[in-house]
Amino acid sequence: MTAAPAGISLTAIGKTYRGRGKDVEALRDVTLDCDQGSFTALIGPSGCGKSTALRILLGLEPADCGSVSIGGQTPQQAAAAGVTGVAFQDSALLPWRNVANNIALPLEVLGRRVADYRDDIAQLIALVGLKGYENALPGELSGGMRQRVAIARALVTRPQVLFMDEPFGALDQILRRQMNIELQRIWGETGATTLLVTHGIDEAVFLADRVVVMQAAPGRIAEVIDIPFPRPRAAELFGQPDFHALCDDIAKVLHGG
Amino acid sequence: MGVDLWQRWPGLRNALVLIAIWELVGQFKLVAGGALPSLSAIVLRLWVDRADYPGHIWATLSASASGFLIGNTIAILAGVLFVTFPVLLRITRGLNIAIFALPPIAIAPILALTLSGMAPRITLAALGVYFVTMSATVIGLSQYDSRAANLVRAYGGAKWQVLWRVQLRGALPAILSGFRIAAPAAVLGAILAEFGGGGRWGLGTYLLGSLGRGEPARIWGIGLVATLIAGLSYVAFALLSARLVGTSRAVSLNPAAPPALRVDPSPWWHRIGLLLCSVALPFVVWWAFLRVLSVPSMLGKTPWDVIHYLFLSELRATAQSRLFSALAETLPITFAGMILGMGFAFVLAVSSRLLPEFTRAFMPVALITQTMPLVALTPLLVLILGRGTSLTLWVTISVTFFPAYVMMAQGLLLVPRAAVELPRAYGAKAWAELRLVAIPASIPYVFAAMRLTAPRALLGVMIAEWLATGRGLGNLLNQSRGYLDFNMIWTVAAVSVLISVGFYQIVLMIERRVLARMGMAATE
Repeated sequence: MTAAPAGISLTAIGKTYRGRGKDVEALRDVTLDCDQGSFTALIGPSGCGKSTALRILLGLEPADCGSVSIGGQTPQQAAAAGVTGVAFQDSALLPWRNVANNIALPLEVLGRRVADYRDDIAQLIALVGLKGYENALPGELSGGMRQRVAIARALVTRPQVLFMDEPFGALDQILRRQMNIELQRIWGETGATTLLVTHGIDEAVFLADRVVVMQAAPGRIAEVIDIPFPRPRAAELFGQPDFHALCDDIAKVLHGG
Repeated sequence: MGVDLWQRWPGLRNALVLIAIWELVGQFKLVAGGALPSLSAIVLRLWVDRADYPGHIWATLSASASGFLIGNTIAILAGVLFVTFPVLLRITRGLNIAIFALPPIAIAPILALTLSGMAPRITLAALGVYFVTMSATVIGLSQYDSRAANLVRAYGGAKWQVLWRVQLRGALPAILSGFRIAAPAAVLGAILAEFGGGGRWGLGTYLLGSLGRGEPARIWGIGLVATLIAGLSYVAFALLSARLVGTSRAVSLNPAAPPALRVDPSPWWHRIGLLLCSVALPFVVWWAFLRVLSVPSMLGKTPWDVIHYLFLSELRATAQSRLFSALAETLPITFAGMILGMGFAFVLAVSSRLLPEFTRAFMPVALITQTMPLVALTPLLVLILGRGTSLTLWVTISVTFFPAYVMMAQGLLLVPRAAVELPRAYGAKAWAELRLVAIPASIPYVFAAMRLTAPRALLGVMIAEWLATGRGLGNLLNQSRGYLDFNMIWTVAAVSVLISVGFYQIVLMIERRVLARMGMAATE
């Protein structure tokens, strides 16, 4: 199956880090296709290479072998064309820029006129629930608020492909669920092909069409599990027995099943 | 195996390359007609002079060790006192900054006048270590694990038990890394005191005696030995701290940061009162120093004597004109050198984000030059550059460049990886990455470096003037020493300390404004 225009496709990716004494095989023969508009969650223990896969998709690191395509382009081409949006685990806000200007950073990098996006930025700030904080500096915000700014920033370029690396990892459980519901809504509205790297099984099951379970040493895909729940998914899903049953299945695969 | 060795020790490879280049340059007299002798010539000369060294090294080493011991004892006690009674830190602020910023060379003659024997050297060495260790102690003691403290308190532990069981133990790594920075400073202090104080033994005396003879190899030899002593003292404490604390955790210490403790908000008259105390205290200490030692009034001048000499006595016109013409020579070149040094450092540090391998190779060299005592560096530059203005400029550039570079480069390494990678994930080119992230992120370190290097810049210029160019404030000091013009000696010392402190305060004020607007905290 080949990826649709704004899909993501990894084919037979391998990556080895050469260290002192021993080499670490971060990824071995990883093949993954995400259709346009789909939501894929990448889950696995630390060291399974999920972050490496993401860095390769972002063009921050080259793969040793195999091919990468984002809507038929290389990661660098896609990034330069403004196709991709990204939110890291660390909110990575620049402390000297206020909320609005932090959100505008990708626009500046891409050489777009920030003035053309004033309305978009205001809408995004409202979307992540930070209305009134436009001029606040990151140091004045809580961890959860900073993370929401990072998500707004990831969306500002109206990306067709959205990469998220444990964007809610630092949030507490309650806020995390709220953000999960928000993210589902945003995803539904934008229709962006989304790849979410996460540690949380429930988060992955709640949000994704497919959960890709990875294993470590060497980093590889262990299993791909389709999530059958209809959309839109409501918060109640977190409490349903078949939701828990599916989470348990994934946990078994994760723990060496 | 051979290739593996190079990969594992790139520093070793770089050092060997450097030594090889040095040898070639020396052999063919490529620098200023042989002012830079080859390493083999220097080592040979060291061998010839071997009988001279033990006495000189012993004198310098014993003075710096005593000063190190005394200064650190006082510094740790002061740190404990400041943390226990934070108001004391506010009151002694002026004194602490004065001790940090004072150019040691300016007060070396004063110590030689008022103290005798080894005391001036020990005092100057102690002054050199005080601020670093005191700051490290205060920072270490105030950054303890509050959960552990709560635990001790929950079992009915008193304040001193918290201090002893939690805070002091927790402060150990910070204090030890303070020692590491302080050790070379003690050596520098001792050598500088030898300049001002006569006496027969000591590397400073040896250097001063050899300066006029035009024997580059010997001067380089003395410089290398001084550097070696300073460097070894640094390494010794690095190893000690690795041994005691378990890790050689590089507690990044900004030796120029004024430690600050939170004090309960107080009414304005209270704060003004503290400020006045803090400004007055250095002068009170100055006056008390003379009283306690009962220095004869002909030798020891009080703050009032200096004001009288400079503004009221019939000598005031000549005194003022001599002082101002010296300042007019010294200050512009200090600023020019500092700005150039900082500028080079900034460009190199920021662009080294683009070439991390270069940073890795260059950093050890920069660190070594930091431990090289200024006094050893200046004569070497005299040999290479002669005694003109360019010498002063280069001394200043070199003393500001390296610390500023080290501080900025290390600061930039602290920028979170995600913050740097975000623009890159959007396809940012290197320049955009610098403009958007690296340059703004380095601004706190620029200020910190400015505070750190300003006193050094003035010290560098004064040493160059004293030893070589015969101009400016350094020369005025040296001359006044020769003419036994005690009023002028005290005046120059007081004015140079005031200038240093004033500049420090101005930078600090601008820094607080700018960083508050940028939403960043000053680097501690």
